[in-house]
Amino acid sequence: MPLKPAGGRLSSGHVALLVGIIAGLLFVAGLIDSAFAQAGPFGTPRPQMPAAPVGGVLGWIFAKQAEFYRQFSSLIRAAKADGSAAWTLFGLSFLYGIFHAAGPGHGKAVISSYIVANDETWTRGVVLSFASALLQALVAVMVVGIAAALLGATAATMGRAVNMIEIVSYSLIILIGVRLLWVKGRAFVSLLQTLHRPAPVGAAVTPHGHDHEHHDHAHDHVHHDHAQQHDHHDGHADHHHHHGEEDASAWGHAHAPEPEELAGPGGWKRGLSAILAVGLRPCSGAILVLVFALAQGLFWAGVASTFVMALGTAITVGAIASIAVAARSWAQHVAETRSGYGMLAMRGIEVGAAVVIIAFGALLLTGYIVTERMVGI
Amino acid sequence: MTGRLGLCGLVACAGLVITTAAARAHPHVWVTVKSELVYAPDGTVTGVRHAWTFDDMFSVFATQGLESKKKGEFTREELAPLAEVNVTSLKEYDFFTFAKANGKKIEFDDPLADYFLDFDPKDTVLTLHFTLPLKAPVKAKELALEVYDREFFVDFSFAEKDPVKLVGAPAHCKLSVGRPQGMSTAMTQQFSQLGADQRDPSLTIGTEFANKITVKCP
Repeated sequence: MPLKPAGGRLSSGHVALLVGIIAGLLFVAGLIDSAFAQAGPFGTPRPQMPAAPVGGVLGWIFAKQAEFYRQFSSLIRAAKADGSAAWTLFGLSFLYGIFHAAGPGHGKAVISSYIVANDETWTRGVVLSFASALLQALVAVMVVGIAAALLGATAATMGRAVNMIEIVSYSLIILIGVRLLWVKGRAFVSLLQTLHRPAPVGAAVTPHGHDHEHHDHAHDHVHHDHAQQHDHHDGHADHHHHHGEEDASAWGHAHAPEPEELAGPGGWKRGLSAILAVGLRPCSGAILVLVFALAQGLFWAGVASTFVMALGTAITVGAIASIAVAARSWAQHVAETRSGYGMLAMRGIEVGAAVVIIAFGALLLTGYIVTERMVGI
Repeated sequence: MTGRLGLCGLVACAGLVITTAAARAHPHVWVTVKSELVYAPDGTVTGVRHAWTFDDMFSVFATQGLESKKKGEFTREELAPLAEVNVTSLKEYDFFTFAKANGKKIEFDDPLADYFLDFDPKDTVLTLHFTLPLKAPVKAKELALEVYDREFFVDFSFAEKDPVKLVGAPAHCKLSVGRPQGMSTAMTQQFSQLGADQRDPSLTIGTEFANKITVKCP
């Protein structure tokens, strides 16, 4: 980084520049992602080379999941004759889920960015991953169960239904990103203003600010909501405590908008929007397996396989989410050792993560990132 | 110190984004390809006649909800609307068919109206038959034809037996078929054919070996 702090102080211009660079680079990273995903963003002609990875770990994962997936149809057929084949099917579905989540379309990027932007705990990160994966399975089962099994709809109709679900899901991702950008952007700007007042940072921690901050987090643990909100010196988990302090320095002094005011009612509702956004889109593979199982008169095997797949998927996504939580809390730790500007950088990172979410949603919605083509031929 | 912090955060965030960078969907549809290269009496190539057999899972999915007189079986007529959808939507992907005459790319026109879908009740698989005419018939010393999905959502491979036929070709024309043959062979071949301007070969399957038909008429 070219920024050399003179006596530990940077001008707001420098900090704004720094954050601008972060946000810009994250955005570019998102674009690179899309370039990898479909090779040819923004209307440029796609290269003639197909870009399927062959070598390395990714290539291996890629080959494995295809290999597992290919066996599903024969295993479902076999399960029809011999029930014990169903166990092989489930085992393979589980492995497939684990490998498959390494591919696109399972919300790793969105969930990870969301965790970074929204300062989620590990528990919540894991819950988000599992809930979205299970919702994904549930939607697949519902689409096939209702459309194919009950209504006798065609593949084309199911494809259209999935397309509509996709549009809703990707729009929700953008909305979540925009909301986070609004909240975190304002927090960033007001912290910037606070830092430029002569009063020492964090000197004027008002009870008001403190209280509200805990209120915000209290929603994450609904069962002891009130205890934390009013009696914030008792029995706090560590992260709650230092958030209170750090945010007090950010919020308490300046009359900035409380995060909670902007965020609306708290934790689980917020998490639910992320779960919905990520989990709405069913996995094409699951839909194919379900329809095939249905045709074989073994719908239950397809349903079970779909949920086992989701379990595998959740494990991979949860692991990646955990990395995001660790990265964030490490950055937080570094930030806490520096007053003021450290927190400013932290807020900058949050803004950047919100931008990443918007970029992902937009790229998905416009088709620059294709998660899985809903079978069109 | 803020700079360092920013850098750390940046690395953390970018890392998260990039973990998904090279990850992509795997194929959900497998197609076994049989093709015919059609020649005019004057020795020019006029087009390609494809017969693509889909895997059973996709075939069952694609025929889901279609009405048929006999349960579990479909006639050409019953499959006609589906065939139309297929052929129409394949256009977006250039019919996954790419040809070069004497090293230069040649263009295909829209498929002829004689396309149809077949259903094999024994294997429960669909086969799509369609003819792609060349925009301009071409006389080529060397003709290369490839069938692949560059997004690798559909996995194409030539049939084991009689993957390609030459119809009405001059007698001296020689046909050779390249298949994806496992990584080592493929990679070796790919390395040897990489130009200096190409990207890291480990990330791409070369079109040079994927389902390539070469016809030499010296």
